Amino acid sequence: MKTANLRAPIAPREAGAAPLDVVIAIMAFLAALALGASLIADRAAEGWREGLSGRLTVQIIPPERGATNKLLDDETSAAVAVLKGIDGVVAVTPLSQKETEALVEPWIGGGGVISDLPLPRLIDVTVLPGAKIDLGTLSQLLKTAAPDSVLDDHTHWIGRLKSLADGIIWSAYGVLILIAVATAATVAFATRAGLEAHHDIVALLHQMGAHAGFIARTFEWHYFVSALVAATVGAACAAILFSMAGGLELAGIEAVPFLPPLSLHAQELAWLAGIPAGVAVIAWATARLSVLAAVARIY
Amino acid sequence: MVRFENVGMRYGAGPEVLRDVTFVLEAGSFTFLTGPSGAGKTTLLKLMYLSEPPTRGLINLFGCDLATARRADFPSLRRRIGVVFQDFRLLNHLTAFDNVALPLRLAGRRPEDYEKDVDELLGWVGLGDKLQVKPPTLSGGEQQRVAIARAVVGRPDLLIADEPTGNVDAEIGQRLLRLFGELNRLGTTILIATHDRSLIERARAREMRLVDGRLVELRTARA
Repeated sequence: MKTANLRAPIAPREAGAAPLDVVIAIMAFLAALALGASLIADRAAEGWREGLSGRLTVQIIPPERGATNKLLDDETSAAVAVLKGIDGVVAVTPLSQKETEALVEPWIGGGGVISDLPLPRLIDVTVLPGAKIDLGTLSQLLKTAAPDSVLDDHTHWIGRLKSLADGIIWSAYGVLILIAVATAATVAFATRAGLEAHHDIVALLHQMGAHAGFIARTFEWHYFVSALVAATVGAACAAILFSMAGGLELAGIEAVPFLPPLSLHAQELAWLAGIPAGVAVIAWATARLSVLAAVARIY
Repeated sequence: MVRFENVGMRYGAGPEVLRDVTFVLEAGSFTFLTGPSGAGKTTLLKLMYLSEPPTRGLINLFGCDLATARRADFPSLRRRIGVVFQDFRLLNHLTAFDNVALPLRLAGRRPEDYEKDVDELLGWVGLGDKLQVKPPTLSGGEQQRVAIARAVVGRPDLLIADEPTGNVDAEIGQRLLRLFGELNRLGTTILIATHDRSLIERARAREMRLVDGRLVELRTARA
């Protein structure tokens, strides 16, 4: 004879557990935003580092008086000659007047204003990665050949950008930790409330000789599955948000000028999948510990 | 099988509910526990099925001294005891079948191994047509029979029943008594707390009476 459901769950899903699912979904959403922000900051910092490391810039600053194009051209040529003779330098590219003006244009606008400014001549220098160049000696050589030259190895900029990126990344990690703690506390609270509602089931199973681990398993599974589903919804919403930001950027709408793109690459979006897994594990662990503690209090 | 020596019990700072209770239940025995309401019958049963620790005295269960036993040993002791609770304690979200099968699931048995046994047992207690019905839609007597079936399905070494026939008619009561008798013949030690004199008279078993927390042995089993 076909009888009842032979795999019926011993512990029922609590009525009124929906608010907990909503809270977990929101927390997973916030955690995904924080993780996404840290990934964007990390990528931006890496881009800045790659863009500036291995590069030197030599400026020929126009003297306050008596600046002529010929003087600047001569000093630029002299500096280029010095740079080409240095071991480890793979490319020396003096920027044209037009290219220099293009660099300044986003900041002060175009038109005739720029041509009236005493812009320095710029020489972009590419250095072999890992090359040991004595910057002090190089600066001296440049000063001798071109007295108005200034050597810039970007260390100052890279340091400040790295500090900024590190600050964003660590802040995101801090938010992630706070969300993890809040999630654990919420799930623990809800678990205890659930146990109170089902104290009769816990007591009966305990009375019938069920081990604490068995009783814990009947409850922890519910919390694991519901947290996994709720957190997946939250993380998916965050992923959609990042994808929408990517769509806007593709359409040529820049979210914030001068900041890195707010969209995530496909492999970065995959990291967000770790959020539901992490939240589910937190829910599982806190549920298990709460049940074990409750069972231990029974004789 | 069960030995109580000078057992006393009080809840918190209240008066002693049980005083100097001493008795032995031999293996394979059939015993009734009687006494007026509030005499301490349910408390005595609770001590026996390891729901509460005694305030004083010694309890020995299956050769294990509970005062010195490790807590980790209690689950295996509890699994050797079948209990019919006065308030049934059925799980309302499970069907009658799943409630009865619960001890077997706890024992790690596979559904395909116990499905037939549970069907037959529920048929024996007159609930063969209500396997898939959940407790809230069963009558008090039907719930009681599910609780009894759950207590005996694992053929426990010790069966403790608190008023097991309190909600059933005479015919079903008779049938349940035969079930307990059959279980007893298979080796289960049985202790039944009851007010039902007709049940006691029919069973012709040993009777222990509790009065104001003290145990008075009334009569031994008759042939």
